[in-house]
Amino acid sequence: MASLRKKIPRVSQLQKQEERLALLLLLPTFIILIAIAFYPLGSVFYTSLTDRVFASAQPVSFVGLDNYKNLLSLTIKELPPKIDEGTGEPLIDPETGDIEYESSVSVLPRDPVRFRELTQFSLLGTRYILGASDRDFIWSIWDTLVFVVITVILELILGMIIALVVNTRFPGRGMMRAIMLVPWAILTAVSSRMWEYMLNPTRTGVINVIFQMLGLGDGQTPFLVDPQYQLKAMIAIDVWKTTSFMALLLLAGLQLIPKELYEAAEVDGASKVRQFFAITLPMLRPVIAVALVFRTLDAVRVFDLFQIVLQQTRYSMASFAYYQLIGSQKMGYSSAASVIIFLIITIFAIWYIRMLGVEQE
Amino acid sequence: MKSLSLSKILGRILFWLIVIIIGFFLLFPFYWAINSSLKSEAQLQMTPTTFIPRDPETQEIAATMMNYLAVFRNEKFLTGLKNSTIVALTTTLLALTIGSFTAFALGKLRFRGRTPSLYLILSMTMFPQVAVLTGLYAVIRTLDMTAIPSMIFSYMLFTLPFTVWVLTAFFKGLPDEIMQSAQVDGATPFQTFWMILLPLTLPALVTTGLLAFINAWNEYLFALTFTTIEVDARTVPVAIALFTGEVSYQEPFGEIMAAAVLVTIPLLLLVLIFQRRIVAGLTAGAVKG
Repeated sequence: MASLRKKIPRVSQLQKQEERLALLLLLPTFIILIAIAFYPLGSVFYTSLTDRVFASAQPVSFVGLDNYKNLLSLTIKELPPKIDEGTGEPLIDPETGDIEYESSVSVLPRDPVRFRELTQFSLLGTRYILGASDRDFIWSIWDTLVFVVITVILELILGMIIALVVNTRFPGRGMMRAIMLVPWAILTAVSSRMWEYMLNPTRTGVINVIFQMLGLGDGQTPFLVDPQYQLKAMIAIDVWKTTSFMALLLLAGLQLIPKELYEAAEVDGASKVRQFFAITLPMLRPVIAVALVFRTLDAVRVFDLFQIVLQQTRYSMASFAYYQLIGSQKMGYSSAASVIIFLIITIFAIWYIRMLGVEQE
Repeated sequence: MKSLSLSKILGRILFWLIVIIIGFFLLFPFYWAINSSLKSEAQLQMTPTTFIPRDPETQEIAATMMNYLAVFRNEKFLTGLKNSTIVALTTTLLALTIGSFTAFALGKLRFRGRTPSLYLILSMTMFPQVAVLTGLYAVIRTLDMTAIPSMIFSYMLFTLPFTVWVLTAFFKGLPDEIMQSAQVDGATPFQTFWMILLPLTLPALVTTGLLAFINAWNEYLFALTFTTIEVDARTVPVAIALFTGEVSYQEPFGEIMAAAVLVTIPLLLLVLIFQRRIVAGLTAGAVKG
């Protein structure tokens, strides 16, 4: 190509003109992306190494990896049993017959930061306690990951069922396809408030009424307050909101499968179930892969739902970073949390690029 | 057709049962919002709650428009609607203008660095907003921007890459001969783009524009953060999330639901009218074609 250009100078000039125009047209996009993505990201990385306080004139000092250490430090300590002063034997709870242990506060480190209990477990007859310097953040990572895995799996299964139904011919199919867009079109802020109301802890909440009718509860379940139900409620809301998006992607994939394949299978006498596993699923694999990763990347950064419904009672990683910035004004600390979220998403994204790399032009 | 076997009839019944369950699953929460928005405070407090608004004494059907009237009198909500419209429309127009320039360059012009540029922009579509939150806020404060321009500016983060991505694919699909013949006629590449190619991309512009608009209308994290101090600049999602009634001290769910229904209906109409285009746009990235 290069030698060709030299031979025909007129083309080379056109080429140069075209190149200049291209750069001119790309410029606005890149200026904007530098201003709102690359530069802020760089500054977040830098700020995460400082103790900067948001909206204040306080001098900023460089603290190295302290923010990360405070966010992520974990410790395991042995929890000694309470000793009876008189006998020197471990105290036994008279009701349950279990050994009573010292309180977690007594064994977890306090300096320079106070560690708090995440969980306790027994191993080889000794009681251990797992503590974290920032319990909320470690929980937010755990909760977010659980949320991601369960929502994505449920959405895939339900989305597949919906897509298969809507892909068959039946009267009213057009309407069903329109209905599929309803949850997607509702603002997340709106759907969060809608569900918040439906999940009211008394029988003014419809979910409690339905649960009682089905014999699943007493009509007083505090879905959004009781930690046992909080995450399940978040998952239910998200599944409702985004399953139809998953179904849309899968439906588009289903429509690309040639009809002849099914006709041939029909002639061979293969059952519908067999057809699904022998034709549909393998043909749909690339679409499923993309849909899964789209949803995963989206779910990892979940914010609206957690911030609106659970506020500060339980965090997703994103809502944790938000509250550290706006609530506590700890800009450096919040930035460090953001960097960790960014790294987690990058890991997922690399996985994404690898998967798509196969079908590059 | 004459004699359907028993298993076929059962299959039919099962199929329709699934259809009904799916329809119920997808529509029920929205139905519930409408139902609740038509109830008075006393009706909302009824236990067990009723599936249609009923009078607490007589159990007769009784709906009220009170909540809707209250919402229309709610200054915060109305300001939110105005702000959201300004922000979403400007974001869409800006993203389409700048995006189509870039997409034309990436789709139709030959230059070095084309593929890396495309991938760089594409990688931005998975960029987590929360990761740049503190940095972006610092940029905005340095530039001394007020909340509404900051929202428009920052929404480019998710609207621009998507617009570029979809439009580039569209420009690539247009035959090269159009450009060549225009150039033979003496048109500069930019004239070709502006006067000949851009009108041809109208369908793609509508699709991406709609999705950009909906995404900007839906955005919550930046809107919430940037309007922390500037309360008057709050958009609809923030207004609804922070909705408090004028009188009642407890959460006015009737009004919240009325507001929810009001902002959802125009969006639903938009989505249903442009159903095909939206589905095409949403699936553009996932399905080769």
